[in-house]
Amino acid sequence: MILRLVAAAWIILSAAAVASAHRLDECLQATLISVERDHVLLSIRVIPGVAVSSSVISSIDSNRDGIISQSEQRAYAERVIGGLSLSADGEGLKPGLVSADFPTIEQMREGIGEIHIACEAGLPDGGIDRRLVLESHNQDTATVYLVNCLVPRDPDIRIDAQKRNEDQTHYELDFARTDSSSASARHGWRPGMRDAIWTQGTASLFRLGMRHIAEGTDHLLFLLVLLLPAPLLVMGSRWAAAADVRHSLLRILQIVTAFTVGHSLTLGLAAFGAIRVPARPVEVLIAVSIFVSAIHALRPLFPGKEAAIAGFFGLIHGLAFASTLGELGLGLWQRLAGILAFNLGIETMQLAVVAATLPSLIVMSRTRAYSFVRVGGAAFAGVASVGWIAERLAGLKSSVDIVVNGVALHAAWIAAGLFFVSLVCWRTQNCRAAKTASGMPSAAGP
Amino acid sequence: MKMIPPKSSCSFFLFIAVTLAMPAATQPTVTSQIVTAANTFLSTLDAKEQKNVQFAFDDEKQRARWSNLPVGMVPRAGISMGEMTPAQRSAVMALLSSALSKTGFVKVQQIMEGDEVLKNGTPANPPPVGPAGQRLTADLFGKDLYYISILGMPSETAPWMFQFGGHHLALNVTIDGERGVLTPSLIGVQPALYTEAGRTVRPLGPESDKAMALLNSLDDSQRKQAILSYKLADLVLGPGQDGKVIQPEGLKASAMNDAQRTMLLDLISEWASIIHESAAAARMAQLKADIDETWFAWSGPTTCVPGRSITAYYRIQGPHLVIEYAPQKLGGDPSMHLHTMYRDPTNDYGKGL
Repeated sequence: MILRLVAAAWIILSAAAVASAHRLDECLQATLISVERDHVLLSIRVIPGVAVSSSVISSIDSNRDGIISQSEQRAYAERVIGGLSLSADGEGLKPGLVSADFPTIEQMREGIGEIHIACEAGLPDGGIDRRLVLESHNQDTATVYLVNCLVPRDPDIRIDAQKRNEDQTHYELDFARTDSSSASARHGWRPGMRDAIWTQGTASLFRLGMRHIAEGTDHLLFLLVLLLPAPLLVMGSRWAAAADVRHSLLRILQIVTAFTVGHSLTLGLAAFGAIRVPARPVEVLIAVSIFVSAIHALRPLFPGKEAAIAGFFGLIHGLAFASTLGELGLGLWQRLAGILAFNLGIETMQLAVVAATLPSLIVMSRTRAYSFVRVGGAAFAGVASVGWIAERLAGLKSSVDIVVNGVALHAAWIAAGLFFVSLVCWRTQNCRAAKTASGMPSAAGP
Repeated sequence: MKMIPPKSSCSFFLFIAVTLAMPAATQPTVTSQIVTAANTFLSTLDAKEQKNVQFAFDDEKQRARWSNLPVGMVPRAGISMGEMTPAQRSAVMALLSSALSKTGFVKVQQIMEGDEVLKNGTPANPPPVGPAGQRLTADLFGKDLYYISILGMPSETAPWMFQFGGHHLALNVTIDGERGVLTPSLIGVQPALYTEAGRTVRPLGPESDKAMALLNSLDDSQRKQAILSYKLADLVLGPGQDGKVIQPEGLKASAMNDAQRTMLLDLISEWASIIHESAAAARMAQLKADIDETWFAWSGPTTCVPGRSITAYYRIQGPHLVIEYAPQKLGGDPSMHLHTMYRDPTNDYGKGL
């Protein structure tokens, strides 16, 4: 693998010597600015050239484990954002990270990896004529910059001028708020173009939804931990014997449905701009939701009300999904179709995960071994959630992402193993039960 | 259901078939020729090859699977010219020639020939050689590494498209009835100047020369507006940037005189007239109607060596158009390595039809 990469890099470098096909010894940082009524969104593409890719990779993969973990992605994206200074009418703005999307390390090594970072900042109230200034710096690597403003989707926003210094590290954008009639009179061709800004297909949103769940290990962990005690009955303040299969299935169905209803609701509201919540508190609350459901899996906190809790925390998880969708900035109808597609993607992935684990949980819940699985799973989720809370609240560095992502990488094997173990437990217990029964003729005899 | 006697139903259907076939038989339309060429190409493929070449019309991933990069780095789907038999290759060329104009077809062939030159190098500039003496450019460049794929079923009425491309070339041709759309397409070349049988070839020569002439025709105040004060290292709306509309900059054509506007349209036609003549005529009519809302912006050197290509970036943007011309400094001489992009942000892959 490493040999192959070295060979590939070498071939590209040699070929580049005669006839380079692409960027070589510098980074390209291309920023597109969308001005909205109350905020600005920056979509940044960072493309490291092949000769600087190894230094960029090592600055992203700070623990050098060959995996770009979510916290490393976040840290790098924050650094790129930290290299920007953004102001509106002289007042400094603090852009917050909306999303970061990374290529594989291999793609970056070949000089074709594009890092996509989106961040946004609220626009303070101001007069009609506004000036936005963006300064870009990248201390790590030699970088060339492209900065452009998109034609605003809002017909009431008019771009007056863009000014840049020679290397585009200093960019000024003059824009004005107008009423729609004058704006559309002046720029008659804009409405048509606006419609065309986002022609993102619904199929790709569906896949985005699937990926969001598959890669959003925190969402999955929450759901799985909540399912852990679902097949069980409560006795006093403890988890006791398994409920019957129909009862268990019904309860699991309720939990998954409630979670879906919850996150669809907030996803819809946030996508239409009815609510707007900053990303960090939402992420902290998601970690808290995992912690609460981990405790619940140990000792029943809210027996029989799992569905309600799943619905409630679903509301919070939906806010996190919305930030992914919101960054795409879709129009009304595209938004409706988009939410549907995105949600279906999330649901499909969720159902796949439930389908992969459910049989094992139900079978094993009928055996004594289940308490180990339940307690073990809950403890793992509990520790992970505490790590996340510390990381997201206090900015502490933890290795939670590395561990959890490492486990998630082997999810299919773990699910298969779990199913195998559940069958073994089931068989052992049945054999023992059969033996006990045959050893008691008084009970079994005629 | 009422039964129609078999004999009369036969003659009835025969009548319908003959009636339907008549206009086509008397006057084959461009689209019917393209469809025939596409079907002929498909018929040269076995079942497995057909499966590799064909995609759903709305396959967004396949639509967006194009790049300026060599095939070795960004793999294309479909099948490559190198894998094909001579008969299949000529069927592909027949499809290209039916869907493109004469000049467009020549341009595409010259771009591919340029990549062959890049692979083979010149005596003064030989290609790099690996430790075992193998030519390292062989799996990156060359005429064999151009791929074709077909999205949807070739049809004279329903929309479908085909893609043809490799290094420095990505043609996305959408056919919808009599309409033909070439956006988005990437047209590049390296080297931008080479000799073939003693003749100098510049596949994108007019794109450079006509732009230089237009810039030279501007007066001082027009130049001041057209020439941007900053450097542009690359395409702003290259691969992956479908549908985005940036704020236009530079000199608006409404501030040009008639002769300059004609020059601008003539420059635009280098991209707009790659598609076959009747689609190009419709496209040019649309772009002519938009001309007063069309902008011309220039960044970089304002002179060029005669007979060579400009090393400046320029952009032409209108309501239905983005053209970017971006020389690449990699490879040493930016006049020899050109990337250009041709877009209609309202009509990516014919979505606006």
